[in-house]
Amino acid sequence: MATMPDRINRDKKDGELYKKLNGEEFLKFKGSGGKRTRKEQFFFAMAIGFKNNIKRPLNTKEGFFLIKDLLPIDETLINAVAINDYDSVEILANKGEVFKIAEEYAHAGIRLLVDKIESIEFGKFEKKLEQEIFEIYNKIGLKNG
Amino acid sequence: MRIKKIILSNYRQFKDIEITFTKKCKSDLHIIIGKNGTGKTNILNALNWCLYYDEPHLSRNSQQLPLINLQSVDEAEDGENKYVKVEVWVESTENRYFIFTRKAFYIIYKNGKNEKHPKKQHTEFEVKYTNEKGNTNIIQNEEADFFVERFVPKAIREFFFFDGERLDNYFKEATAERIRHTITLISQVDLLENKIERRLSDILKEFRKEAGKENPKINDTRINLEENENSFASTEKQIKECKDQIDIAKKRIKGYEEKLREIPDIESLEKELNSLKISKKHEKETLYNKIEEKQDLLFEYGKNIILWPAIKNSIKIIEAKRKNKEIPPVIDKKLIEGILKNEVCICGRRLDDNSKKRVADLLDEIKLSSGIVIQLVNMENPLYLIKEGIKEFRKKNYNLTRDINNYNKILEGIEEKMNQIDGKIINFNSKKIKEWYEDSKKFGKIRDDNQKNLGILEERKNEFSKNIDTLNEQLKKEIQKEKKIIKIKKQIDFCIKSLYIVEKTKEIIREKTRERIESETNKIFFKLIWKKRTFKNIDINQDYNINLIHSMGYECLGTIGAAERELLALSFTLALHTISGFDSPILVDTPVARVADEHRENLGKIFSKVSKNKQIILLFTSAEYSKEISKLLDTENSSRFNFKLSENEKETRLEMI
Repeated sequence: MATMPDRINRDKKDGELYKKLNGEEFLKFKGSGGKRTRKEQFFFAMAIGFKNNIKRPLNTKEGFFLIKDLLPIDETLINAVAINDYDSVEILANKGEVFKIAEEYAHAGIRLLVDKIESIEFGKFEKKLEQEIFEIYNKIGLKNG
Repeated sequence: MRIKKIILSNYRQFKDIEITFTKKCKSDLHIIIGKNGTGKTNILNALNWCLYYDEPHLSRNSQQLPLINLQSVDEAEDGENKYVKVEVWVESTENRYFIFTRKAFYIIYKNGKNEKHPKKQHTEFEVKYTNEKGNTNIIQNEEADFFVERFVPKAIREFFFFDGERLDNYFKEATAERIRHTITLISQVDLLENKIERRLSDILKEFRKEAGKENPKINDTRINLEENENSFASTEKQIKECKDQIDIAKKRIKGYEEKLREIPDIESLEKELNSLKISKKHEKETLYNKIEEKQDLLFEYGKNIILWPAIKNSIKIIEAKRKNKEIPPVIDKKLIEGILKNEVCICGRRLDDNSKKRVADLLDEIKLSSGIVIQLVNMENPLYLIKEGIKEFRKKNYNLTRDINNYNKILEGIEEKMNQIDGKIINFNSKKIKEWYEDSKKFGKIRDDNQKNLGILEERKNEFSKNIDTLNEQLKKEIQKEKKIIKIKKQIDFCIKSLYIVEKTKEIIREKTRERIESETNKIFFKLIWKKRTFKNIDINQDYNINLIHSMGYECLGTIGAAERELLALSFTLALHTISGFDSPILVDTPVARVADEHRENLGKIFSKVSKNKQIILLFTSAEYSKEISKLLDTENSSRFNFKLSENEKETRLEMI
């Protein structure tokens, strides 16, 4: 039986990339005077990797944050991504694999995110992101508000 | 009357020039343009030199040079005779000519250094004129002056031939005394003063002196009276000076008051600015909060929206499992597996074959482990919450975007108001304002000091006046007592009565003239002014103070622009022409130099209008004859000339344009 991991990892080299998120006020890490936690940054990177359907295996793992810090809603998202990726709920029986999928999406996502920030004119990333989110949102077709 | 031509020979820069002012169109307007130093102003001087034998507008440079043209001096032989000549041809309305000619004769000498020097010999002045029968007469020197007085009297020439600066300064510095003096000149009251009053006073003094010879008491009283009269006259002169000072100070104070009246209340503006700064800070904080809220929305909901396919998939799977009754877990799969493995029921009984088969069939039916099912159940609520959240995203984003736009607009409004206030405060240089307050205070002190002095002087004057009355009475009594001097007594009485009549006549004439000038100035000013509704009327009050009344009712002479001030002075000057009966031409040097570009056109139009009924000669600098003026006057003039200085700068040549 696989042992339950106690932390979420990132690739050691991603440390620099996560630092670069500090260039965008709303993605900035709390420790640098911003408002995002490592966990929040990780989830955003994971979403970007997922959006682009790219996973990258981690070369050198480095603990990023503790599993105990995950809220039910966080775990739900990680599980959902894993179920979607594995196309079976059985994956949930192997939590190590579930987290690995999330880590690999985040590893690919952080690179894509930083590339995007750097390729867009300063101060325009937020606007661009809003535009892209709306494009996806309109495709979802969920209507209420 | 109009000036037909001016001929200059060897006069200053002009070696040999003839300027003919022919009236070719409706406007009798003539323009002379020249750069500084070409001798424009010397045309004004030449006219004065010819008619009055002085050059009141001579520049410092010209004062150091001889009257005779330098080129002409250079060309002369040692000991050669040369002359300077200025001829002014005046044409009357009856087509009669008056040619005023003044000549100054020189001999040119060489000094030891071979330098040539002109030595003035003598001057001649003559008037050639055609009489009613068409015969030409020549009159010289003092007799000729009489004709000048008929053209433009020397005393009032400054209202005909003047510098543009005079128009600009006239009402800036005008004191009641100055206006009174002008009215005295125009009404020719000075003739009564100089020719009759002074003579009568002298005769009276003589008679009293004669009476004094008969009686020492009369003589003592006479001397006492004359001393008091002299003191009275000197006090009156001091009072006049004092009043002048008060007048100037009052005008300056009024000017400063007008200026300060236009200054906004800086203190309340600064208060408003501070309260706007506080509002700005508050609104900015709110805006930043809203921006942060929107960023959080984008971050949180954005991530969920991006992950929607996975979320949707999980919801679908969970819903399907619920439908298949796989959720919630009825039996614990691991427990069943344990029973089957150990072949012992939960009650401790061993399982028989039949029971084993039934438990194995049950295990087949349980596809999911309870652990997975529990995880799926745990996922259900968060997934639905995320789904509901995503549904609200558009509305929340819309509200926040709207709020952000609103706060931005509010901030723009505050910013605009702050800029307006800043602009108002910056435009009013506080150093300048302070200076105005201080100057106004300084003039206030001058006014107050002079008013105090005036009080003392008036008292002294009254005292002298009373003394004079008493001494006159005393003298009268003394003279009447003296039987030997009956004839002188009658003569003295006659002189006193005559002097009284002259004084009264002077007052009446002056008052009538004042009223006529006021009415004529109003007529001309309101006919010419381009701002038809700004002003109400011009008032020359009985103390000879001139006031321009704004349509709102307040006095505004101190605050009007240079163009309006020049027009007012011009209207006053033209009114003086009408009242004086001297319909002579006007010659103005640098007429619009002190007027801002945008108003030069207005003044140009005025000169053009006035020139329909009166000859006007304007001397412009090249810079002053701007595009706007040129566009306006190029087609309106009868003749236009250009002055050009020769290469050696000793001679000015004339070009007709």
